[in-house]
Amino acid sequence: MLQFARFTATRAVLAVLTLLLVSFIVFTLMELVPGDCAERYIAFKNTQGAVITVADIEAERIRLGLDKPYLERWVKWVWGAFQGDFGDSCILRLNIAQLLGDKFKISLGLSLAALVFAYLIAIPVGIYAAVSKNRVVNNILRLVSYLGLALPNFLLALIIMLFATVYFHNSLTGLFSKEFRDAAWSWAKLVDFLKHAWLPVFILGWSATAFAIQTVRALMSDEIGKLYVTAAEARGVSGRRLLMRYPARHALAPIINSLGFDLNRIFNELPVVALILTLTEAGSLLIDALAKSNDQQLAGAIIFLLTGSIVAMNFITDILLAIMDPRVRKSILR
Amino acid sequence: MTDQTAAPGPLSEADQKAKEAYFTASQRQLIWQRFKKNKSALFGAWVLIVLILSGIFSPFLTPYDPTIAGRDKEYMNGAPEIPRFCDENGCSLRPFVYTTVRERSIKTNFRWVTEVKTGLEDRRYLQFFVEGSPYKLFGMTFNTHLFGVDKGQIHLFGTDSTGKDIFSRTFAAINTSMAVGTIGVFIAFVLALIIGGVSGYYGGWIDSVLQMLTDTIRTVPAIPLFMALAAFIPDTWSAEMRFFFISIILGFIGWPTLARRVRTHLLTERNQEYVLAAQLCGASAGHIIRRHLLPSFTSYIIVDLVISFPYMVLSETALSFIGLGLKDPVNSLGVMLQNVTSADVLLNYQWYFIPVIFFIVLVLAFVFVGDGLRDAADPYSDSKK
Repeated sequence: MLQFARFTATRAVLAVLTLLLVSFIVFTLMELVPGDCAERYIAFKNTQGAVITVADIEAERIRLGLDKPYLERWVKWVWGAFQGDFGDSCILRLNIAQLLGDKFKISLGLSLAALVFAYLIAIPVGIYAAVSKNRVVNNILRLVSYLGLALPNFLLALIIMLFATVYFHNSLTGLFSKEFRDAAWSWAKLVDFLKHAWLPVFILGWSATAFAIQTVRALMSDEIGKLYVTAAEARGVSGRRLLMRYPARHALAPIINSLGFDLNRIFNELPVVALILTLTEAGSLLIDALAKSNDQQLAGAIIFLLTGSIVAMNFITDILLAIMDPRVRKSILR
Repeated sequence: MTDQTAAPGPLSEADQKAKEAYFTASQRQLIWQRFKKNKSALFGAWVLIVLILSGIFSPFLTPYDPTIAGRDKEYMNGAPEIPRFCDENGCSLRPFVYTTVRERSIKTNFRWVTEVKTGLEDRRYLQFFVEGSPYKLFGMTFNTHLFGVDKGQIHLFGTDSTGKDIFSRTFAAINTSMAVGTIGVFIAFVLALIIGGVSGYYGGWIDSVLQMLTDTIRTVPAIPLFMALAAFIPDTWSAEMRFFFISIILGFIGWPTLARRVRTHLLTERNQEYVLAAQLCGASAGHIIRRHLLPSFTSYIIVDLVISFPYMVLSETALSFIGLGLKDPVNSLGVMLQNVTSADVLLNYQWYFIPVIFFIVLVLAFVFVGDGLRDAADPYSDSKK
């Protein structure tokens, strides 16, 4: 038990270190964007009719703490970020945490749902493909997984939209019906949300599924020829019981390990898919922040949050793996 | 064959040669032998070669300038014109398209209405090797295009909202995508070799630090990061500068996977005797990495490059699609798809989607070739099956 606690602590420290490194990269990028917050605020006041001098900008810089050294501001930003406070966006003049709030939760929820969807399909199908000698099934699966690569999610979304518009005269976009958009969360709103959410989940899960099937199949066919499987078979275990208790357990461990990277891939697709399906509640905020207004605070916060969820995911999967497989725990401590 | 199994005597001359050829064959020849057996990969390779060539020769193969200079003012948002041989007025050996007339008057309720004239005198005949807008190819200027029509313009895939020919743009876009991919893959490749090479060769704490860095970069979702980086591009930059900047960003984010693989190979190879021999001869680390270690897995690196190519192309497409990547007048699939999500396009101008087919084929061809090469480069691929 002590060993396990030590393992968890090591992993947690590593995760925090990674996040710190990421936050440093993100913060540096934000600083590189031309124009700082003081200039933005003052420029805004200028549009309101006030007369501006260079001294005003300097005063504003001091007020916002922008005159402090780079490292000090980074520490301050990171300290806030870990407590969920990202400061204010200079362009929208709103608190970022409030602005993101629900939107980030919805995005994360959609992505996780897509991940679950992908593996719900991929694990049984992948295992079946590895076991079965059926050439037709295997070829179809190969084609599907190739298409998963060649037909990126945003093209799939476009094509689905094209067909939906031409044949059903309904573009299937958005996440809420009009009447629920600004309403508080309620049962009816949840039902409405689920009615809209299946399409983004399917589209986001599409290439993840294709990849996952390929991985499960490869891992499973590696395991299935091993001696312990033959030994189990010789002891009279057979059928589904044999598959699930022996090779599948081993084959699935590396998959748990790669869940974080799958989430990464889904986050990659999220902004573009959100733009196409006009999911204003989700990732397209990032595009707004970057493409339309160059809002570095907002963009930095979003990238930090996305990376944070991936790091958290990696941490959780590491712990899960250690619970399932004592060899992993020992290998870390040695 | 039967003779040999019956009497295992000395091998015949031809067989001896074949055997010798097998054992003395270079890695490249062996890979090619295995690759040839994979029918789908071979087919993919042919498709790829055809597409790349048609991209390079696109100014000749396509009738018009893909930029705004080549626009057809008379035929904006025009439907594809399919050449035909026959209609109710009889047949012709030379394929033809009809003339279209756009009209806006009180009769049409003041909206642009396109009318297709199908009379015999309205036929426009297809011609080959017509003189058209000048273009540069291999540093020389030409003005002959593969095909065109005798009067007006022909648009096989229709035109977009400004009257640019989608057929011409599609092929120009293939060229752009290949160029972006090549530059991006090249930069990623150089970075991966340096970082992976150093990390794998020295091992120890250098390896740990570099691996931590690599893993961190791998955790940051790439496309959102691209978007943040692409937002730095000032609006005043020219299209060419944007193009190079985007390719460079793609390269800078694409290296971690490859670097990891280079490192793993080096970690296993660096304890081999030939490395020790080279070290004892006083060779420098750079020399050993370059001349002794890297050649030992060149084939794997090439395979990895082919596999990572479509990712570059697709990232560029996604980036341009949301308006942060390339912009007019550079053509790429993403640029062409920028405005297709509007209901107007979805309902009325579906030919905007024709280029998508070409890109799916391009990426699929890459995937097939990459997979085929990977199987071919793996000496154990036969025994696995």
